[in-house]
Amino acid sequence: MKRSIVAVLLAGAALAVPALAQTSGLPLPSAVEKQLEARASNVTEVTLDKNMLGFASKFLDKKDSDQANAKQLINGLDGIYVRDYEFDKEGQYSPEDIENLRKQFAGGEWVPLVHTREKKTGESTDVMAKMVNGESRGMFILSAEPKELTIVLILGPIKMDQLGQLGGIGGLGALGDVTKTVKKADKGATKGGGE
Amino acid sequence: MGLEPMDDLERELRQGLLRLPAPPGLKRKIMARKRALDAEKTHRRVVFWQRLAASIVLCGAVGGGVTWHNVQEQRKGEAARQQVMMALRIAGRALDQVNAQLAARDSRQ
Repeated sequence: MKRSIVAVLLAGAALAVPALAQTSGLPLPSAVEKQLEARASNVTEVTLDKNMLGFASKFLDKKDSDQANAKQLINGLDGIYVRDYEFDKEGQYSPEDIENLRKQFAGGEWVPLVHTREKKTGESTDVMAKMVNGESRGMFILSAEPKELTIVLILGPIKMDQLGQLGGIGGLGALGDVTKTVKKADKGATKGGGE
Repeated sequence: MGLEPMDDLERELRQGLLRLPAPPGLKRKIMARKRALDAEKTHRRVVFWQRLAASIVLCGAVGGGVTWHNVQEQRKGEAARQQVMMALRIAGRALDQVNAQLAARDSRQ
C-alpha cells in the first residue's frame, strides 16, 4: 500500500515538474549555456516568469518615468529570461555555441528580424520575433561580442511603441530605431549585415 | 383558661430562642467553604491573567508574523523590481549593439 502511494506521488511529481516548467514558458538553461556559465568570469542571470513579473510590477514606482514605462511594458508579459556572460579573454565560446543557441529559436513561430555578423571583430547579433497571428508575442536577442555574450528572451505581447518609450533604460528605446533601420535595410539590400 | 394560648406562644418562643450549641464541625465547615471560595477566586484571577497574557503574546506573535511577512514581501518585491530593471537594461544594451552594428553597416553601404 505504502509503495503504491509513493509511486503515485512520484508519478505526480514527475508529471508536475515539466508541466510547471511549461506553464512558465521560459526555457531551462541549455547545455550550451551551462558550458558558457562554467567558462565565464561573470554571469548575470535573470529569470522572471509571469507571476514574478506581476509581483515586481507592484513595486515599480509610477512616479519614476523609467519604472512607469517598465511597468507598462512588463504588464501582460509571460516572462523575461536574460543571461549575460562576460569572459576574461576572447575565444571562450565558439561559433557553434552561438549556432546552438540560435537553433533553439529557429523556425516555427520565430521570425528572424536581424542577423548580423562582423567578421573582423567577431561580433554577431540576432533579433528574432515570435509572431502569432500577425502579432508579436515574444522576442529573442542574442548579442555576441568577443568577451561578452548576451541572451535576452522576452515572452508575451510586446508593443514596439512601448519599447520606444523606454529610451532611458539603457537605450531600450533603440529597438524602435532597430526596426526602422531593418525596414530601411530591407528596401535597399538583403539582411545579414557584415556577413 | 384565658392564658393558655399565651403559654403556648411563650413556650414556643422560649424553645425558639433557646441558645443551642453549634453543631460539631460547623466552624471547620465554614472555614473550609471560605477557603474553597477564596481558592476559586484566586484560581479565576490567575486564569484571567493567564488568558490576558496569552492573548497579548498571541497578538504580539501574529503582529510580529505579519510585520515579518510584510518586510519579506517588501524585500522580495524590491529584488524583483531590481531584476526587472536589470533585465530591461541588459536587453536595451543588446539592442543598442544591434542598432550600432546596423548603423555601421549602413554607413559602409
